[in-house]
Amino acid sequence: MSSPLSAPSAAPASRPRPSRAPAGVRVRPQERGWAPYAFLSPYLLLTSVFFFVPFLDAIGLAFFETNGPRTRVFVGLANFHFLFTDSTFYRALWNTTVFACASVFVQLPLSMGLAILLNSSKGRLRGMLRLVLFSPNLVGQIFVGILFSTLFTPRYGLINRAFHALFGWGLEVWWLSNPWLVMPALVLTSLWVWVGFNMVYFLAALQGVDRSLEEAARIDGASEWQVFRFVTLPSMRHVTVFVVVTSVIGSYQLFELPLALLHSTEGAGPENSGLTLITYLNNVAFHLGDLGLGSAVGWIAALIIFFVSMIQIRVSRVLED
Amino acid sequence: MVEKFPYGKAPFWLLAIALASVAGRWLVMGHGDARADLLIVANSPSHFEAYKNAVPRFERKHGVHVEVQFAHWTALQSRLESAMLAGADVPDLVELLEGSLGFFTRGPREDVGLLDLADRVEAEGFDRRLVASRLSSWSTVDGRIYALPNDVHPVMLAYRRDLVAQLGIDVTKLDTWDAFVEAGRRVTRDVDGDGVVDHYMIDLPYDGNWALTSLLLQHGGQLFDRAGNIAFNSDITTEVFAWYLRQTHGPRKIAYDAGWGQALGKAMVDGLVVFYWAPDWRSRFFADEVPSLAGHMALMPLPAWDKGGRRTSVWGGTGLMISRRTPRPDLAWELAKFLYFDPTEMGKRFEATNIIPVLRDAWTMPELDAPNPYYSNEPIGRMYADLAPDVPPSYVSPLTAVAGTELDEAFSRCVSYYERFGEEGLTDAIHRELSRAEAYVQRLAERANWMARAP
Repeated sequence: MSSPLSAPSAAPASRPRPSRAPAGVRVRPQERGWAPYAFLSPYLLLTSVFFFVPFLDAIGLAFFETNGPRTRVFVGLANFHFLFTDSTFYRALWNTTVFACASVFVQLPLSMGLAILLNSSKGRLRGMLRLVLFSPNLVGQIFVGILFSTLFTPRYGLINRAFHALFGWGLEVWWLSNPWLVMPALVLTSLWVWVGFNMVYFLAALQGVDRSLEEAARIDGASEWQVFRFVTLPSMRHVTVFVVVTSVIGSYQLFELPLALLHSTEGAGPENSGLTLITYLNNVAFHLGDLGLGSAVGWIAALIIFFVSMIQIRVSRVLED
Repeated sequence: MVEKFPYGKAPFWLLAIALASVAGRWLVMGHGDARADLLIVANSPSHFEAYKNAVPRFERKHGVHVEVQFAHWTALQSRLESAMLAGADVPDLVELLEGSLGFFTRGPREDVGLLDLADRVEAEGFDRRLVASRLSSWSTVDGRIYALPNDVHPVMLAYRRDLVAQLGIDVTKLDTWDAFVEAGRRVTRDVDGDGVVDHYMIDLPYDGNWALTSLLLQHGGQLFDRAGNIAFNSDITTEVFAWYLRQTHGPRKIAYDAGWGQALGKAMVDGLVVFYWAPDWRSRFFADEVPSLAGHMALMPLPAWDKGGRRTSVWGGTGLMISRRTPRPDLAWELAKFLYFDPTEMGKRFEATNIIPVLRDAWTMPELDAPNPYYSNEPIGRMYADLAPDVPPSYVSPLTAVAGTELDEAFSRCVSYYERFGEEGLTDAIHRELSRAEAYVQRLAERANWMARAP
């Protein structure tokens, strides 16, 4: 594949590409000229202004207590001390972790199952089902939250009516007002959005599995489950690790969905049963106006995501070895 | 030229598009309208329409250009918060809800980005002419006035008149909550024997929320006192919590959580709920959202907590704030007065919104006495105005939103307790939860207080 940054524009396709240096040979900056930097500059400028500057500012801000738009006082680790002694913070951390576990242990197996089903179906049907199952992801999470808050309406909501029709239960269930039902409602909603999305990754991975290996295993007497467990699944390992890591990261960044679904309680739900780390960050930073505390929450969330991702990648390498 | 450009055609065209976009934007900006003399942002479509129609008269009188914009209240608040934190441009005048004021008045007084209106209000006698509970509570912080209140929002109960007659309820006898509950116990039942209750007496959210606060204010309770101290951990709150729990949970409940939007409209049309919480602004909402009930609805004052007690409460409030950075503070003040207190505009606005004005002089205007066809030709403006002097104050603090959240959480824990243990030890459980909520808000308040003293 040609790279626009390395291939001279006027060169015919058959000519060698001189700027593509062999592996291990360093190309001096003066040979590359100014163009790459010129093309990169808008991105670098925007990233600097809207990512690096706030990022660095947030490092410092986490050690300050802010009050109003211009007043801040250095408090050392007091913000972190406040958080580690705040039951609401722990509740938010617990909820987020539960949601992340649900993503990994409920959502991804469903995605995988659907991918296997679709992989065994034929041509047009597969394409259509793929589109149908993927399409919820095209809808914004705020819209999904509003939609499901209607579907979860007691007595009149489609979900309540469906439960009542199928099981004779659930007509007057207050999904979004009952602290025990808020997390199941959030997970149900997220399933609708994300199962199809992750399914597409798994489907692509399944289509890349070497059929001859599976056939060889079958000839050797392996059952279908053994073929899947010892041939198909290991062949999909890299995609699986990617999907698990991105799902966990996405779960720890969950914000819009609970905010829209539980809008009457600013995304927290009864007894903070739907409060996530980022919703907590939003509440302390922008409702309470304590940007220092908000930055501290942001840092903790970033560190959690970093360590959990590292652990997952390390575990996957150990399993690979 | 394209052929000579390094790295090919695609980068060339990308660069060309980027340059053309920048040049186009520059040209458009160069020929755009000049900034208006004043920019006002309204937080509701009805206010926006009213101001848009009224502003030309103000422009002619003062020879200025005023731009009116609309932004939904949640978007408006967050944008204004961000703009003030970043020191970016803000509108000259902006309408915000009562709960927002606390956020914008945090920190040392010199940091507050809103114009202090106290001297102007006093100089022109508005402190005597406006409803005292509105001017002295949520629009005032630390003795200064940062917002001109737009409304009073007295609360009544809206009800299905036909259903009330059918169920044999005499609304004139519902003068206390005890009488209301007694009638509610008779009404709330499964009429057709299918195991599902067919009529509930009143629409109240099961998680407390706005109704719990409104009932607390009616009973004389507060989240914060006038000085900004936490005030919700009180016997009044305990009493309100216990009452609300009994009506919204457990086997003898009389309330149904009808929610909002389509579900609420369906509940009203189906007659699932008989009585609805109806501040003046919501009376219009019912008329707009459920027009099929025109002529079938009516209003009554809230039942009192005690015989002869307060028959109303309050829910919501909007205020107009002037940015301290406006280059034309006097003109902004004139516009604020014109939009909120001009007699012609107030009459039109009541007709369009059912919201009675906060200016007591205006309660004599004939529009308030007009019969309202939706509410069985009742003169609802007069009914709301008669209750307006009794509207309780609702003091705000920078921690109002947190206190509201904590109160809801405390209520939710009490629900769990009540569903598990019933009446046994309920009062102690409520006290415990209120104390826990108070401790949490106090912890945050101490951080804020410490900051306020900082140099």
